[in-house]
Amino acid sequence: MLVNKSFNSLTGKLILTIGTLMLAGSVLFWLFLFKHQEKELLASSVKYGYSFVDYIRNSTRYGMLTVQGTLIQQTVEAVGIAEGIMNVRIFDNRGKVAYSSDKKHVGTMLDKSSALCLRCHTASGPTKDTPSWTITKGDQYRILNIVQPIYNEPACYNASCHAHPKEQRVLGLVEADLSLELLDHSIKQQGVAITVYVLAFSIVISGTLCIILWNFVSTPVTMLAQGMRKVAAGDLDYKITINRKDEIGELANTFNTMSDELRKAKNESMQWSSTLEKKVQEKTEAIHRAQQQLIHSEKLASLGRMAAGVAHEINSPLTGIVTFGHLLLKKFPEGSEDREDIEVIIDQANRCSNIIKGLLGFARATTADKAQTNINDVLNSTLNIVKNKADFFNIKLSTNLDPALSMIKADAPQLQQVFLNMIVNAADACEGKGSITITTSNVNDNGQDFVQIEFRDTGYGIKDEDLEKIFEPFFTTKPVGKGTGLGLAVSHGIIQEHGGKITISTKIGEGTSFFIRLPAMKETA
Amino acid sequence: MSKGKILVIDDEDIVRISCSRSLVPEGYELKMAKNGPEGLKMLEEEPFDLVLTDLKMPNMDGIEVLGTIKEKWPKTDVVIVTGYQTVETAVKAIKLGAFDYIEKPFTPDSLIATVANVFRARNR
Repeated sequence: MLVNKSFNSLTGKLILTIGTLMLAGSVLFWLFLFKHQEKELLASSVKYGYSFVDYIRNSTRYGMLTVQGTLIQQTVEAVGIAEGIMNVRIFDNRGKVAYSSDKKHVGTMLDKSSALCLRCHTASGPTKDTPSWTITKGDQYRILNIVQPIYNEPACYNASCHAHPKEQRVLGLVEADLSLELLDHSIKQQGVAITVYVLAFSIVISGTLCIILWNFVSTPVTMLAQGMRKVAAGDLDYKITINRKDEIGELANTFNTMSDELRKAKNESMQWSSTLEKKVQEKTEAIHRAQQQLIHSEKLASLGRMAAGVAHEINSPLTGIVTFGHLLLKKFPEGSEDREDIEVIIDQANRCSNIIKGLLGFARATTADKAQTNINDVLNSTLNIVKNKADFFNIKLSTNLDPALSMIKADAPQLQQVFLNMIVNAADACEGKGSITITTSNVNDNGQDFVQIEFRDTGYGIKDEDLEKIFEPFFTTKPVGKGTGLGLAVSHGIIQEHGGKITISTKIGEGTSFFIRLPAMKETA
Repeated sequence: MSKGKILVIDDEDIVRISCSRSLVPEGYELKMAKNGPEGLKMLEEEPFDLVLTDLKMPNMDGIEVLGTIKEKWPKTDVVIVTGYQTVETAVKAIKLGAFDYIEKPFTPDSLIATVANVFRARNR
C-alpha cells in the first residue's frame, strides 16, 4: 500500500524532497571535502618539493662556488636515488643540462619553446624568475615538476673563477620531477573513506528522518484520513486515538469533538423527526376526536332545536287528547271496559308527552346553571328518590362514597337527571335482582384532577356492537314502550356540557361499569 | 252570575276548545282569541279577570302579551300555558308578574285547579 502511493502521499513527497536534498547536499559535501583534501595534500607535496629543491641547491652550493663539477654531479645522482624522486636536473643559464641524476641527460640542450622554458620566458624576453611548479600526467601516476632558479649572489660573482658577471640575476635553475604516486594513492584512499562516511551519514540521517516522518506525520495523517472516511460513510461513533500534545493530537481531538457533535446533531434531528411524527399523529387523532365530538354535539344540538319545535306542536294536540279523554272518562262508570279503553288512550298520550320531555332534555343540556356542588350530596338525594320504588326492592344498592371528594362546578338538577338515568339503566340491566354499587373517588389523569363516579351493576352486560351506538339518540335495547332511547344521549350531552366524559367497561354475563369523570374545582387556599 | 271572566289566547283550536270544555262547565265565562294582538284588542273592549295565554305564538309571544297586560291592566291575572316545560321560561314568566304557569298537555282537573287557585287569591 505504501509503495503504491509512495510518491503521491505526503510522506512520499517529503521523503522524495528530503532524499533529493540530502543527495545533492551529500554530493556537494563530498566534492568539497574531497577537493579540499586533495588541495591540502597537494600543497604539502609542493611544499615538500620546494624544500627538496632547496636542499639540492644548498647541497651543490659549495661545489658550484669551488667549481667542482664532479662533486655536484655526484651529489645530484645521490639525491636522485631517493624514493619518489624521478629526475633531478640542474640547468645553466643557456638552457643546457649541466648536471642530472640521469647521466645521459647531461649536456643536452633544452629547446627554447619547451614547456619548461615558457614557464618563465616568453618570446619578448624573460618576465619572471620565480620558483614554479606544474603537475603532469605520467603513465601510472602524476608527476610534480618543481623549478627553482639559482640566483646570482656576491659569493658567485666574486668567486675566483669569474664565471658569472655581477649583472646576471639568474645563473641557472634546479629542476626536479617528483612522483605523486603516494599522494594519489592517499587521495584515492581518503576519497573512498570520505565517500563511505558521507554515504553512511546520509543513510543514517535519511533513515532517521523517514522514521520520524512515518511516526509523527504519516501514521497519524493516515489515521485521520481513515477516520474521515469512516465518518463520511456514516460511522459517527468512530474515535481517533492519538494521544499527543502537538498539532496532530489537537487535530485528532478536534476531529473527535466534531464527530461527537455530528452524532449528537444527527441523534437530535432523528429524535426530533420521530417525535414530530408522533406529535402529528397525536394531533391528528385529537383533531379527529374533536371533530367527531363536534359532529356529535352538533347532532344533539340540532336534535334539541328540533325537539323544542316538535314539543310545542305535539303538546297542543296531546292537550286535546288528554282533555277529551278525561271528559269522556267521566261519562263511563268505574270499572267498565269503555272506561279502561279511554284510560289506554290517556296513558299513551302521556307516554307521548314523556318522549317529548326526553327530547327537550337536549335543549336543556346546553343551558346549564352551574354552581359549586358536592357530588356525594347529589347522589344521596338521587338514591332517596329511587330507594322506595318497587323496581329496586330486590336489588342491593350500596354506595362507597369518598368523604374527601373534591367539589365540582355543576348544575345539580341536571346531574341528578344523569345519575337517575344511570341507576335506572343499571336496575333494568339487573332485571330486578343483583346489586348496584356506586363509588366516588378523586382521580388524576395527565395532571388534571377529576371526580369519578362509578355505577357498577351485575347485569347482563352490553354487546360490542351496541357499545358504539349506546349514546345515540333513540337507540335502546329495552322493549318497545319501556325506553325512549334518549336517557344516555341526554346524559352524555349534560356530562359533555360539564367538561366531563362517560366511559364504559362491560363484560357479557358479568355486568357493566359506567364511569363518569367531571373536572374537579381547583383547591382554593 | 259567572264565577269570573277568562280570556284564552292560543293559536291552536284544540287548546282553546279543551279549555272551554274544561272550564265552562265549572261556571266560568270564557272568551277566545287566536293570537296576541286579537286578545289585547278584546281586553281594550272589556275587562277580564284572568288571561290564559300560550307562550309560543306567531306575531306576538306569551311573554310580550303578559308584559302588555301587566302594564295596561294590572288587575288582570295571567297564567302562562307552555309547551316547553322549561324552568327558565316559567321563572321568567313569574318574575314578569304571571300568577302561575301550566304545562301542556294538561288534564281538565289540573287546569281547573290552577284557575281555581287564581280566583281564590283574587277573592281574598
